[in-house]
Amino acid sequence: MSVKMGSSSTSVIQAQKLVDQLRVEATMERFKISLTATDLVRYCQEHKRSDPLITGIAASSNPFKDKKSCVLL
Amino acid sequence: MTTIAMGEMEQLRKEADNLKDQITAARKAMQDTTLQEAAASINVVGRVQLKTRKTLRGHLAKIYAMHWSTDSKLCVSASQDGKLIVWDSITTNKVNAIPLKSSWVMTCAYAPSGNLVACGGLDNMCSIYNLKGKDGNVKVMRELAAHTGYLSCCRFLSDSEIITSSGDCTCVLWDIETGTQKTIFAGHQGDCMSLAVSPDFKFFISGACDFTAKLWDIREGTCRQTFGGHESDINAIGFFPNGNAVITGSDDASCKLYDLRADQELITYQDSSIMCGVTSLAPSLSGRLLLAGYDDFNVNIWDTLKAERVGVLAGHDNRVSCIGVSSDGMACCTGSWDSFLKIWN
Repeated sequence: MSVKMGSSSTSVIQAQKLVDQLRVEATMERFKISLTATDLVRYCQEHKRSDPLITGIAASSNPFKDKKSCVLL
Repeated sequence: MTTIAMGEMEQLRKEADNLKDQITAARKAMQDTTLQEAAASINVVGRVQLKTRKTLRGHLAKIYAMHWSTDSKLCVSASQDGKLIVWDSITTNKVNAIPLKSSWVMTCAYAPSGNLVACGGLDNMCSIYNLKGKDGNVKVMRELAAHTGYLSCCRFLSDSEIITSSGDCTCVLWDIETGTQKTIFAGHQGDCMSLAVSPDFKFFISGACDFTAKLWDIREGTCRQTFGGHESDINAIGFFPNGNAVITGSDDASCKLYDLRADQELITYQDSSIMCGVTSLAPSLSGRLLLAGYDDFNVNIWDTLKAERVGVLAGHDNRVSCIGVSSDGMACCTGSWDSFLKIWN
């Protein structure tokens, strides 16, 4: 009898926790996508020129590129 | 179950459904436009062709994880050959080769200071190693044990705090000094597979096998938001560089971008020709590119604003298990089950 009560009260506790969490998530302040998406786009645009994987890296300033030395024959 | 308990359950179920409907409606009310529309006037980024600049050879088995040091030069990798290797990615020299007690390692992390590295896996523990010990030897500094499931991911907040995610469905904030749990983040209904810390260190996000991503307030210890939409396990997660969006990678073969302030998914990165799971992901410095590793041995590069594939990194002979872009954005490192790491730019 007590085991059954235990499992049912655990389920109730879990269900209550889920409801409590949903309540927290429901009350957040949300912002319109027109605002947030524009910010994302603007951030990308502003930082595009300093993103090496987009702009490419000159061989002379690329620490990972092996520098070939000139050999005078 | 007793009749009283059944009545309570029914009521709670109704309340939960009610709240879920409220959240759905609140999210819908924010949909005055789409990311596609906001980026309509921008052209797709030109084709991105990165070359393998370095191959880091030395591991003798599958590589499961890698993490860049904040200096953009050193990086650490973990392999099931039972070693943690700290590499100088420019010279390809091995700075440290740390033998692990347990070879079943699944994750590794470099502390922002560069002083510590951490790893863990099927031993359910997160082991912290001091790279700057007095006698020059790298030793275990702390073993953080309390998780009842495998350690899937770990990330340092500082030399004194680290966050872990586990197959026991929880994430934990640890005090490294005392080796104790400061906060337990419970709520996921499936194994936690990956975590990422926000640029301001106030929040972290977790991706799990319950197909959701959760945003957690580190100091409050609470879950602020939950994001659904994926149709399978989320294996990889990362923050968009400005901290206002989250990117996830899943076994459902797609990546998704979720906006934190609008509290919803803005775009999905998928292609009908891609049918295998995403294992890892990393955004480029500006956030405009998303580099994602897949089970089919490739890395696909996506234009995050246009959701178009703009490049592929093909060079590994087995699954790409981990990927990372250095802090200065100059290079991308991929780690694979083929036992090699490659540096690309």
